[in-house]
Amino acid sequence: MPVVGSYRFQTGVSAFFEMATADARAVLPSHLEPIEVRHERSVLSVSAFLFDDSVVGPYTEVMFAVIVPPSVAAWGEHAKAGLYPFLCATSSAEARRIKAERFHFPYHEQSIDAQFIETADRVRIRVFGAGAPILDLSVTPESWETTTHLLQGFMMNGDERLRTMLHISGDYTVHENERGDMKLFPHPFTNALLRQDVSPYPFREHWFKNGTEVFHKLEAF
Amino acid sequence: MSDMNKYSSIPRATTEASAPVRRLEVDELDASRPTVPAAMEYDYTNFYFGAGDDAFALLAPFDDWWSQVQPAGYYLYELPLHSAPGTRVDVKDTKTGEIRRNLVNFASYNYLGLSYRPEVKAAIKEAADIYGGGSSGSPILSGTTELHRAFTEEVAAFKGKEASLVFPTGYSANVGTIAGLMRSGDLIVADQFAHASIVDGMILSKAKSRFFRHNRADDLDRKLAGFAGKKLVIVEGVYSMDGDVPPLAELIEVCKKHGARLMIDEAHSAFVFGPSGKGVAEAQGVDEEIDIHLGTFSKSLGGQGGYVTGSRKLINYLRGFSRSRFFSCALSPVVVAGLRKSLELVQSEPHLRDKLWRNVARMQQLLAERGVPFGESTSQVIPIMIRDDARIFMIGEEIFRDGVFINPVRYPAVGKHKSRFRMSISAAHTDQDLEEGAETIARVLRKYGICQS
Repeated sequence: MPVVGSYRFQTGVSAFFEMATADARAVLPSHLEPIEVRHERSVLSVSAFLFDDSVVGPYTEVMFAVIVPPSVAAWGEHAKAGLYPFLCATSSAEARRIKAERFHFPYHEQSIDAQFIETADRVRIRVFGAGAPILDLSVTPESWETTTHLLQGFMMNGDERLRTMLHISGDYTVHENERGDMKLFPHPFTNALLRQDVSPYPFREHWFKNGTEVFHKLEAF
Repeated sequence: MSDMNKYSSIPRATTEASAPVRRLEVDELDASRPTVPAAMEYDYTNFYFGAGDDAFALLAPFDDWWSQVQPAGYYLYELPLHSAPGTRVDVKDTKTGEIRRNLVNFASYNYLGLSYRPEVKAAIKEAADIYGGGSSGSPILSGTTELHRAFTEEVAAFKGKEASLVFPTGYSANVGTIAGLMRSGDLIVADQFAHASIVDGMILSKAKSRFFRHNRADDLDRKLAGFAGKKLVIVEGVYSMDGDVPPLAELIEVCKKHGARLMIDEAHSAFVFGPSGKGVAEAQGVDEEIDIHLGTFSKSLGGQGGYVTGSRKLINYLRGFSRSRFFSCALSPVVVAGLRKSLELVQSEPHLRDKLWRNVARMQQLLAERGVPFGESTSQVIPIMIRDDARIFMIGEEIFRDGVFINPVRYPAVGKHKSRFRMSISAAHTDQDLEEGAETIARVLRKYGICQS
């Protein structure tokens, strides 16, 4: 599998929130279906990464994605999950440019600043835009293990349907104990979510440390 | 690529139970213990949708996965019993082909031990002689016998309601009641841990569906707020994976505030909770404040079927609009005959309920003494918390082979890292059953660092 991009990170979190399926469908292209955790409730993934080594050097990134089923029939490896990123933001304009070109992620045009504050029982990510708060997300740990996850990312380039394989490796913890939280502030980056029916607490919290995110070549399908 | 390499996760090296359970260090673990296949990190949710236009596109990938996980643990489901679901059972080990005999049974719902009582079996035999095996028709056509009619009245009388309706299963009772009553444009709000039959009823009704946080009246209040139109709130009497009960008085207050009707599914609580066995609503003193009472006959009565009770007007309406009843064959009269006898025993032998609660208290004591974590259960459903999705089947296999029949439950039936064994206590369990079962479970859990003592 040809590698297109490799990013080493110090911290990476992904918190899963329930969102209305109607809202999820509104952001998904017609060929993708949201996974429902229960009737009419789909999954919003809010992820934040503190990259300490990449082609553009260290930077931070925040991503909103809808969780979708991975396509298992046509691929040689089974992915654990699929995701469709519908809005991203970074602290680096260059990182934004490269990922938009390579992966067609839809980026917020202004740079953001994300602080990762780690304590023994949680990591808190405070995201700002021009000094104004955008997002305050906390994720908590359960037991840690070293693991690799294979995921599928889905993107659109105009009318072209694309997908990529994505490996994330590192120290990892996940649980559904509902100890995390998220606060969204009015901002162009979050306004769409503020209008939607999104749960204020994550039903699943993922936390990676000291890992690597590897993107493989995009394929049209 | 080998089959194993298709699954990308690396099996975990260590495990951790939730506090205050002691955590094993790596060097304390038995190095010879078999590792968990990487495929076990995957589950049914990975095979729900698939690419391609062929409706069979997912069959081959699923079969590939299943061929690895079935012998690694999933075989523990659908193990065939070779005996009645009593407190001791003979079960076929489909992995080895052996019949494992005289296992202590904590897997069956037979909470009052009624399914195999001689009086029940005699009633069944008598009905079989008269009616044969099946009802041979929908209840509205030819499927209703005099047994059905009498039983329906007896259920209503027992529950203290004007009327009742009997369904072929508990599943169809929920689906038929919810979809029979609610329509597109209405709102249904259910507890987030509501049973699949409740959720499926909500889907079939086409009403707007919301879920409130488990047992949280404040969240129910938020979910009902601002909706103008018909509203139905649905809770359960005992939640089947955690064994806890709802705070009904608080929930009723919220329902009244918003003009919502309240339905309770007492599948696991009817016939065992409350002074006369009506259920959790009776036990909490709010029976009359709940609009729709629903339940099953497969748990405490040890038979099969479901029911809904309430006002005569409600039941008359549902008789016409519950499609899952209307378009199903009626319960077999043989089953109904057994249920009638079981219901009679529930009323004539209240000491069975006393015995059940003594057994529940005894088992909680035995588990606590051995440091077995069993959650927040306040009922005869006791979750043995393992919290290790990868190894629960391995632990379950050891418990099974050491003489206890108990069901493992893992994601997606419960949350990630909330794996557990679901223990069902019966009034029929003897002290020896309880002690032997608790000791066997504790002995295995100790090996895995899940017991404190």
